[in-house]
Amino acid sequence: MTGFNVMREGWRTAAAGLFVAVAAAITLGGSPAEGVSKGSRWRAEYFPNVPLVTQDGEVVHFYDDLIKDKVVAINFMFTSCNDVCPAETARLKQVQRELGDRVGQDVFMYSISIDPENDTPEVLKRYSEKFKVGPGWLFLTGKAEDIALLQRKLGLFIADLPDPDDHNVNLIVGNEATGRWMKRSPFDDPKVLAEVIGSWLHNWKVPNKSLAGKYEKAPSFPRLSRGEYLFRTRCVSCHALGSDGPLGPDLLGVTEERDPVWLARWLKEPDQMLAEKDSIALELFARYDELPMPNLSLNDVDVAALIDYLASASRDVDSENTSAGP
Amino acid sequence: MSVAQTPEPPKFDSPTGASPSPLFGATPFTQQMFRFEEFGAQPYEPSECTTCGPMPAAPDCQSGPSGDALDHYLDEPMSPPPTVMANEDLPNAWHTRIEQCVRPLATSAIEGRPGGENFAHQRYEEFFPSMYFKTITAGARINGGVRDEYQRHGYAKGEFGPNGLYYNTIGTEGFDGTTAKIPVKFHPLMPEQDPLAFWTFDGTFPPKLLMARYGHPILFRHYNALPIDPGANYGFGLHTITTHEHNGHNPAESDGYTQSFFFPGQYFDYHWPMILAGHDHINIDASDPRAATIDDNGNVRRIRGDWRETMSTHWFHDHMLDFTAPNVYKGQVAMMNYYSAVDRGNEAIDCHYADPENPNNMNLCFPSGSASAWGNRDYDVNLMVSDKAWDQDGQLFFNIFNLDGFLGDRMTVNYQYKPYLEVRARRYRFRILNASVSRYFKIALIDQNGNRVPHHMIANDGNVMEHAVPFPNAESADLPTQAIAERYDIIVDFSQFQPGDKLYMVNLLEHRDGRRPKEAIPLPEVVLNQYCDGPPDFAAADACDTVVGRFLEFRVVAYTGVDTSMNPADYVEGKKKMIPLPSFTAEELANAKHRSFTFGRSSGTDTSPWTIKTDGGQGFGMDPARLSAAPDEGTAEIWHIKNASGSAHPVHIHFEEGQILKRNGKPPPIWEKWARKDVYRIGPMPDSGDSVEVALRFREFLGTYMEHCHNTTHEDHAMLLRWDIEKPGQLKIMPTPMPTWEGVGYLDTYTLPTYKTGDVDEDDDGVTDDLDNCREYINPNQRDTDGDGYGNWCDPDYDNNGIVNFGDFNRFVRAWGSANPDIDLNDDGIINFGDFVVFAHYFYRPPGPGAKQ
Repeated sequence: MTGFNVMREGWRTAAAGLFVAVAAAITLGGSPAEGVSKGSRWRAEYFPNVPLVTQDGEVVHFYDDLIKDKVVAINFMFTSCNDVCPAETARLKQVQRELGDRVGQDVFMYSISIDPENDTPEVLKRYSEKFKVGPGWLFLTGKAEDIALLQRKLGLFIADLPDPDDHNVNLIVGNEATGRWMKRSPFDDPKVLAEVIGSWLHNWKVPNKSLAGKYEKAPSFPRLSRGEYLFRTRCVSCHALGSDGPLGPDLLGVTEERDPVWLARWLKEPDQMLAEKDSIALELFARYDELPMPNLSLNDVDVAALIDYLASASRDVDSENTSAGP
Repeated sequence: MSVAQTPEPPKFDSPTGASPSPLFGATPFTQQMFRFEEFGAQPYEPSECTTCGPMPAAPDCQSGPSGDALDHYLDEPMSPPPTVMANEDLPNAWHTRIEQCVRPLATSAIEGRPGGENFAHQRYEEFFPSMYFKTITAGARINGGVRDEYQRHGYAKGEFGPNGLYYNTIGTEGFDGTTAKIPVKFHPLMPEQDPLAFWTFDGTFPPKLLMARYGHPILFRHYNALPIDPGANYGFGLHTITTHEHNGHNPAESDGYTQSFFFPGQYFDYHWPMILAGHDHINIDASDPRAATIDDNGNVRRIRGDWRETMSTHWFHDHMLDFTAPNVYKGQVAMMNYYSAVDRGNEAIDCHYADPENPNNMNLCFPSGSASAWGNRDYDVNLMVSDKAWDQDGQLFFNIFNLDGFLGDRMTVNYQYKPYLEVRARRYRFRILNASVSRYFKIALIDQNGNRVPHHMIANDGNVMEHAVPFPNAESADLPTQAIAERYDIIVDFSQFQPGDKLYMVNLLEHRDGRRPKEAIPLPEVVLNQYCDGPPDFAAADACDTVVGRFLEFRVVAYTGVDTSMNPADYVEGKKKMIPLPSFTAEELANAKHRSFTFGRSSGTDTSPWTIKTDGGQGFGMDPARLSAAPDEGTAEIWHIKNASGSAHPVHIHFEEGQILKRNGKPPPIWEKWARKDVYRIGPMPDSGDSVEVALRFREFLGTYMEHCHNTTHEDHAMLLRWDIEKPGQLKIMPTPMPTWEGVGYLDTYTLPTYKTGDVDEDDDGVTDDLDNCREYINPNQRDTDGDGYGNWCDPDYDNNGIVNFGDFNRFVRAWGSANPDIDLNDDGIINFGDFVVFAHYFYRPPGPGAKQ
């Protein structure tokens, strides 16, 4: 770098710094600007400022535009993933719903593709539309080595991976300014995740809203069967019982409607069935905007439990409806 | 804008993510090692202090109160007094400042313990506090000497008195009999630690020690004076904390559950009953002379419980959800010595070796001292060993983005870079704790010529063993691999050496990264400086693991006293016993519930975050609202700990000590055979292996505990699970606390399906008993047509009137030969004699049995 560049750089940084400090002072109502930690080394000098492209074709830089001074949730995925990523995206969509229009204002969600060759901005746009993703959540692509670098920097890269499709199914959430980063699972309870991203990471500047309250009001909770547990953590992001789900069909009565052998296989390896051009699979795929049913790696016991749950839950909903009267 | 190149990962990722830690001219063995400074617990008298106030307020959002203000507050009695349920009546002591830094608060609480009954002190009246101590977790500051007067030795007795080796606290002028003015520095030539870079109990050096006695319950009042701004942390660590006493038999609300953390400005009262495990079940009339404690006059007082569960060497440290590694690394570590009539820190009274048959001679008389009736530390030394790293300014450094394991590149003992300790030419006891983030040690003891010096191990994980184990022995030349949080107590006899001789502790275990150890370097290679043990500022910093090598020097000094401590050679296998192992009867083992926990990267593959797979289910990371296991109080279980990754995991189970039944399917080695442990190593080292079977009991207390990998980086991301002890038949599940600035709210808890019954499957049909709707027949498809909870195989009660009788028989007959799935009892598609057999079995009986609740 020449001396001139350095000086320009210095002025720009100083001006930016001043602006941030003033902005922070204004937004925080005059209280001392928080978070720029002495000795913090997890800021501009740590994160690469690689260029990425959003689903709308806009070029953005990772550090300057996406994370600097922001509270963020970042996960890595790819659109042709037919196992867990669709469930992950659907789950994150629940988190987005909890956070409402804060996403894009003081909380930012980013899904970065690890298959940039195939995941062009158009493909990502289509993917985000399939999931009916709300505004403020960006789907990003870029150069493969840049994205690999980001994964490494965020601690989400596993060396010596034999299968390139395997990736770290994970979410990292953080407050860049205070240097607080936590690795979470997208299968965490969406209410808890929304609490972590929306409240905790802001040092609770935003009051929490989804707590049950004091001890006296703490709910006592019935035991969950294995099937119900799976339903609540895996299915509920896309499906519902008694109405159309946010992204997939209503499951009320599905155990009656579908042939049991077909249903059991569908829960176990829907991607395989779609590849084999099973007629029901194709019909569902077309009907639901080409959003595939994900392969959730369930074993036989899980599938049996889930089917039993769906059957009994359907009966419960039915009897509720009938007892409610015509 | 140029794209950064992906750097070549270094051959040795130590320190993880940074350049070598500069030494500022420090050389090995040039500073005197700290002896731990006692908290100095005092007798507890309930009282209201009319002149006391809340903790002094923080001056601003990025710092805590001044050292003087903190010291003054430490000296005052507790105010407000401890309460059984959390004190939510008064506001957070820093309420006003928090409102300025964060936002207006509708409410706040002075105590951070969750409110209500769930986190009330269990059995508080029964175990009413006898002793108490206060500490304030704060940023690094100069010691004001406020604890000088609380040291048991009073800087007047034995080696801590004016002619003793440990009278001067750091080995330079002006520090006789006081710790005042000791700065927080890893070496005198290194810079002082910034208050944001190092956080510890009181904020001061030397590191702190709690000396606790059985039968004297403790009330520990822990204040948080860390900065309100979470970014004021020098790049790592979180200002909300929770303290876990490893491995106390403590009630759950005082066990430091990872989700019940507290905030700056608050305090959290921990109640440690100091009872023997088995208190409610064994020796309940307190008649066993060996289950006893001691008072200051040397009188023995008997207590209830199983004396064979006596514990000795513990530590306590932060356990904050997702931030345990940086917080513990940042200084939130203290040690705790448990004293009892059997291990009382006195080597002269009631010694067992003098008259082993006499029940009054229960004192094992380990090397300690004799000036006081108990708790002499003259020859009983705590060693906290850990690897650290610092930046080019000498400030503590931690890599928050490494999720495999963090390695430091400089070895410290008691927070000091390679110190020396003067020792008398007699026996010593060393309580060695591995307090690293991710590093394992293999410690050898050598003389100045590089020859191994024999020694004995007397306690494993802080529990005195049935027999002492000599080293070297047939199974190992040196102490076993020591994982994070494992404690080994050893006895070394310096009497065969001359004044002026030097001995060394040497670490042999090389790491390339924080996932697991690589291999033990042969001792001659290390000792002859062929490995890495050269001058500190060697040029090829990336060519070796700088934490392999000598790290502690002992300088032998003449001893003119009489060593009356026990000789461990008289207690090895085949000779006298120290503390016999509490046995599990064959019946208990046969009836024990089994649970299995597999540690790896999600469901046993190497592709996802660190997880624990419970009972064969999905692999999970930590979710504090998820309850993974719930043994019933008063029962015994067998837990199978398995490794499904190529990495190493020291698995720690809270609350109870366990006995290893098998390691890798075979009997355990001699140092585990005689031991009770609480950290179970799985991993690639030869003395570790991939599976451990542990027998455990669950007694006295109910509530939430944890099991986790103690490589704290793994723990944070997130190899940690919650298990609860429940009353048999308990229906209400403990809600999950969610602490905030405004107080603690509660979240719903949900459970894993196998949490109640483990992975028992009576009929072996692949469906565990807690879910199996027909427990006596093999029905993997669990078909239950009428949805009454009884699988078809167990349910010929077609009319659902609770009994199988003629009404049902009619239906059965009418369906004969058909394929009616609701009548088909054996699910083979036709109603015929196969079903008749089942029907007959149930005639005039109720349906079932269904799932075991």
